[in-house]
Amino acid sequence: MRMIMAIAQKDLLILIRDKAGLFWVSVFPLIMALFFGSIFGSSGSGGARSLKVAFVGVGDSVGVLAFATALEKSDVIVLRKMPMDSARDLVGRGKLVAYIRYTDTSTSAFGMFGPSKPSIEVGMDPARRAEKGYLQGLVSQAYFSLLKDAIANPGSLGPTLQEQANILDTLSGMDPIQRDVLQGFFGSLDKLMAFRSVDSSSDSGSGGNPAASFGDINLEFSDVTVAREGPRSSWEITFPQSLQWALIGVATAFGVGIALERRRGTYLRLRLAPIHRFHILAGKGLACFIACVISCSMLLAIGILIFGVRVVSPVGLIVALFSSAFCFVGLMMLISVLGKTVQAVAGSGWAIMLIMSMTGGGMVPLMMMPKWMFQLGSVSAVKWSILAFEGAIWRGFGVTEMMLPIGVLLGFGVAGLTVGTIVLSRSD
Amino acid sequence: MISARNLRKQFGDLVAVDDLSFEIQKGEIFGLLGPNGAGKTTTIQMLVGGLVPDSGTVEIADGGNPLQANVRRNIGNAPQALAIYEELSGEENITFFGRLYGLSGSKLKQRVDYTLDLVGLVDRRKDRLATYSGGMQRRLNLACALVHDPPILVLDEPTVGVDPQSRNLIFDKIELLKSEGKTVLYTTHYMEEAQRLCDHIAIVDHGRILAHGTLDNLLSEHGGMSVVTASFETNPPADVKLPGEFENGELRFESDRPLEDAAALLSHGCTFRSLRIDRPDLETVFLKLTGRRLRD
Repeated sequence: MRMIMAIAQKDLLILIRDKAGLFWVSVFPLIMALFFGSIFGSSGSGGARSLKVAFVGVGDSVGVLAFATALEKSDVIVLRKMPMDSARDLVGRGKLVAYIRYTDTSTSAFGMFGPSKPSIEVGMDPARRAEKGYLQGLVSQAYFSLLKDAIANPGSLGPTLQEQANILDTLSGMDPIQRDVLQGFFGSLDKLMAFRSVDSSSDSGSGGNPAASFGDINLEFSDVTVAREGPRSSWEITFPQSLQWALIGVATAFGVGIALERRRGTYLRLRLAPIHRFHILAGKGLACFIACVISCSMLLAIGILIFGVRVVSPVGLIVALFSSAFCFVGLMMLISVLGKTVQAVAGSGWAIMLIMSMTGGGMVPLMMMPKWMFQLGSVSAVKWSILAFEGAIWRGFGVTEMMLPIGVLLGFGVAGLTVGTIVLSRSD
Repeated sequence: MISARNLRKQFGDLVAVDDLSFEIQKGEIFGLLGPNGAGKTTTIQMLVGGLVPDSGTVEIADGGNPLQANVRRNIGNAPQALAIYEELSGEENITFFGRLYGLSGSKLKQRVDYTLDLVGLVDRRKDRLATYSGGMQRRLNLACALVHDPPILVLDEPTVGVDPQSRNLIFDKIELLKSEGKTVLYTTHYMEEAQRLCDHIAIVDHGRILAHGTLDNLLSEHGGMSVVTASFETNPPADVKLPGEFENGELRFESDRPLEDAAALLSHGCTFRSLRIDRPDLETVFLKLTGRRLRD
């Protein structure tokens, strides 16, 4: 084992010191992820994208309608009015970003001035943190726009004040003096508002934000468990793709490395050391495996921490990572015997990898492929690796569903290792 | 220490090594001298386990077969091609090969330090090979073969492309290693190197050993006589019988005892203006054996 570790350590050191090689296995895949991610969609953080939201109005108040109208004024929100059951179902299936339930039991348009303030419930996937903050701002904006309208149009408050006075009349057990004072206050306020409405057009909009004095908005968020049916952002498509470029870069680099060792004579020198051929190949395979895992892990970390890629199954992701790395170790061994010169190995290696990438979804996402191309890609290890990663990231594959891509990847790996080792042994 | 019997290796129609046999005793430097393409490297590859002979046997250190990994542990091989990693430093290269031969810990560090010192690369130990001269890379190639302290050293043309300073250093170190009891198999196409270093020399051409023995044996058996060329202050006395032809004021003759013949001329009253003795060398031996020069 020490011999294998020595060879693996040496090969990794050589890879690290090869700046061009390092670029292909770390920077280039990231560039591909960012490039295609930008093309296929925005970052998923909201931005200019519209938010499809269900609206559920509860109560007969015209305030419900007014609030919905205020929300629709936003360029960002696309509102669909529907019953609560439908709203929860659509959000739960990921068809809509959230639902907004607006409950206003008052009869006037400005129930927020009444004893029972309207309540707003926003239901959405708790993982949508960016959208949550954005939606909170939009809902608050719509709510306070109603307050502003009320203040700017004082005449319209008359029915509300009358309604409050009527409620005072019906309250039993209230101190008569207190009732008289309050009714006097409502009457005076009604007269004042009627007087203010005469020249409200000249006064409206001045004097700060009176809405602030009416207290806080009654807004609550509810968590909705979302059943995934697709990627939540373009990054969840492009990062599995970028992992393929990392794997391809590593496999090609190590395949060419073996060809280079044979040309230099260092491979022969290794063979003349008191170790078996197995040790040499295992050392190189181990180095390639470690490089694949590290390179992919770095990209995944960037995807998860910076671009919000969410992993449905962390265990599945690890299995996908290890089996993909094993697969590309086998392909590396195969690449190393594709030619007798370094140039031949490098050229044929990249050509084969590019074809595998093109047909396997390394460039065009699998979900966007026509059916015939998707089926054609089955001969490519890249397709199965992407499927395995996507299965863990957003497809929500269970154990049974993961077995196929994992099995195919392991099969590719074993086949590549077998053929590569046999050809290498014969050429020795 | 090393025994090769009736080795034969053929690549297609080309017979690279043809019925080649020799023995190398412990503690001696054995030279394979021959032109490029003579079959030296193929022979070495069979001796170190890199090639399987078509026929014949190789025994290393008490009958071991070099195709077995544990037998190869006894051999330090410095191949003709620089088989070292230019992306690594000198120290990293030696350490890596030391680990391949099972060294670790303080023993490994001690051997790395020793070999770096031996080949004069201590000051450059941390530098990558890309910054080394050709001679320094050759010395490092040798150091990588020595790191595990093998009893047998196989050096395949270790001075190819080396500056005179590095060449002399390599010669000194090989002689030092011999004095420490190492057995050295040394291939070269430079007869000067074989003459300086080797206790026994096998002259190889077209995959066969043409002659084999000590330097003196080879010279006496195949080198012929020394050629003496002399000119005189005055013409030799008429009664002196000259051992060769005297033309245009110059005497030229062949002798197996040139110094004695020159002394006899002096005793007969001849006074030399110049005297030149061309002793036979391995070049002469090779020329006589093959009709070609070593560097043809």
